[in-house]
Amino acid sequence: MSILFGIGNSGRNDDGLGWAFLDRIQQEMEFLGQLEYRYQLQVEDAELISRADRVIFVDSYQGDLPGGFQWQPCETSNDVEFTSHVLPPGSVLYLCQDLYGKSPRADLLLIQGQSWGLKMGMSPEAERNLDSALRFFRNKVHLNELKRS
Amino acid sequence: MNTTRRKITIDPVTRVEGHGRVTVQMDEQGKVKQARFHVVEFRGFERFIQGHPYWEAPLLVQRLCGICPVSHHLAAAKAIDQIYGVDPEDLHPTASKIRRLLHFAQVFQSHSLHFFYLASPDLLFGLDAPVEKRSVGAVATEHRDLARMGIQMRQFGQELIKALAGKKIHGITAVPGGVHKTFYPEERDYFLEDNNTPSIDTMIKWSQDVVSFIKDYHNQNFNWLDSFASYPSGHLGLVGRDGQLELYDGFLRAIDSDGAVTLNDVHSDQYLKYFGEGVEKWSYMKFPFLRHLGRKDGWNRVGPLARLNVCDHIPTPLANEEFREFKAYTNGQPNNHTMHSHWARLIEILHCAEQIKLLLNDKEILDEVPRPPVNRRPEGIGIIEAPRGTLIHHYKADEKGSITKCNLIVSTTHNNEPMNRAVQWVAQNVLDQQTEITEGMLNQVEVAIRAYDPCLSCATHAMGKMPLMLTVLDAAGNVIAEHVKNSS
Repeated sequence: MSILFGIGNSGRNDDGLGWAFLDRIQQEMEFLGQLEYRYQLQVEDAELISRADRVIFVDSYQGDLPGGFQWQPCETSNDVEFTSHVLPPGSVLYLCQDLYGKSPRADLLLIQGQSWGLKMGMSPEAERNLDSALRFFRNKVHLNELKRS
Repeated sequence: MNTTRRKITIDPVTRVEGHGRVTVQMDEQGKVKQARFHVVEFRGFERFIQGHPYWEAPLLVQRLCGICPVSHHLAAAKAIDQIYGVDPEDLHPTASKIRRLLHFAQVFQSHSLHFFYLASPDLLFGLDAPVEKRSVGAVATEHRDLARMGIQMRQFGQELIKALAGKKIHGITAVPGGVHKTFYPEERDYFLEDNNTPSIDTMIKWSQDVVSFIKDYHNQNFNWLDSFASYPSGHLGLVGRDGQLELYDGFLRAIDSDGAVTLNDVHSDQYLKYFGEGVEKWSYMKFPFLRHLGRKDGWNRVGPLARLNVCDHIPTPLANEEFREFKAYTNGQPNNHTMHSHWARLIEILHCAEQIKLLLNDKEILDEVPRPPVNRRPEGIGIIEAPRGTLIHHYKADEKGSITKCNLIVSTTHNNEPMNRAVQWVAQNVLDQQTEITEGMLNQVEVAIRAYDPCLSCATHAMGKMPLMLTVLDAAGNVIAEHVKNSS
């Protein structure tokens, strides 16, 4: 089973990129896995991903990313000293491994945002970056890997 | 670390919601001159919601917080009911029970998360534990069963929320004057039996286990738990008609540090008459107070400790037994021991589990809920006890139904002054006149704040956004030491 997490808050401008990505996946692709919308990752997500073979976390990013997005392996990390109730993806992987003995293959897709106000809708820059990230995902990840799984 | 520091800043505080900053100002002799807990993010939600149709409020306010969207949803729904024309006592009994069930599920999962994953590292590994120990990861490694239990308790609450709201995110339970969907027998039965998620009976058993854990821990560690960050204060919370603990709908009661009643079971629609909000230029977060006592003396703690201080009893047997023991420890007097908030929180977990079982077994909760006729009013006020304390939503709408005014007093705002007092306690008792400020000392500031489980607007979280910054400034404001960590 594959799980695609969209992390964010569509009420906060470009913080909604993770959710918008999942919305577009549903509209445009035959994704056979499970789509999970999250404001934040939570401890119980460690149990959820223990049942998956493949996990992809999609989140907005505040900072510069070449081409407007970045795809990278998600490394297991116990470095959770600074979080609120928020757990970084690597920490969820750590908990999954430590508590349930499972290590699903995991990647992180970060999409660059621009605006972070208390407002619905995304900035034009974020929309462009979302398109780029979706193109990459469709061609490099979905067609080659997930559609077959 | 440089010992000539004059000002210590922790920015933001770790493992609490959103962005906070603690500043401790030393004088030339190394004595603490001032200690403050700042909130550095402005939400602006009250303005954002103006112009929206009133019925959208319970949906939109869920965006305020990713941790307790249900609390905002229900407080807003209670207010919007009144604009629609329905008072809490006139809500259909099934609608009221479904909302209560949702609320108990929310408090249950929120308290579970706080205890197992935010507070337990402080208790299990101690105040001076190295940084790498002060995390949920360390709990998972060294106390695996406890960590798994925490996850399953949290999951139980989340799954129940999902069953009632349709989904975990953007779910809709409450609509003006009622509820959105019927609760079906097969949905209900899932929580009465052991499945992927253990049954409610297991949840009650585990809740009793964690109460026993905190009592044993207290017996072995009462020296620091009774004294750490403790100070006299007022306490505020909702109570029911018989003075019982009430989380969903009741009357506002406050007492002072000696137990004298300072707010005597006031109806929610009177809150403006009794509450004022002070402003300080160094924090975006306001300082609520009881008007008749003034800004200086009228502040109150809210949350589990305050609720157990103001109520007369708990209306479920197992939790009430624990309540009696809890009250007996302070001879029936108000409990002002800040770290006993954890004890109180776990008694509330047990209460919520018992209430959930009662409601799941109540046949009326499966009934369909007819929508009452609309009888529009210009304003509504909804007050509930959110996991972190008293939460107030107040809306006004024009004749077209557009929201013209919104006022929110969230739980953490009530606890603004108490958290500042807690920081001052640590500054005076731990940091004062120290030649070297250690990581463990700074952690004690966070431990004191964490007891309140604060939520400081967590609605934006993008990767790369939230560094942890420790800045040390000299008397002239120059940075002489800085430590930055990132969450990603």
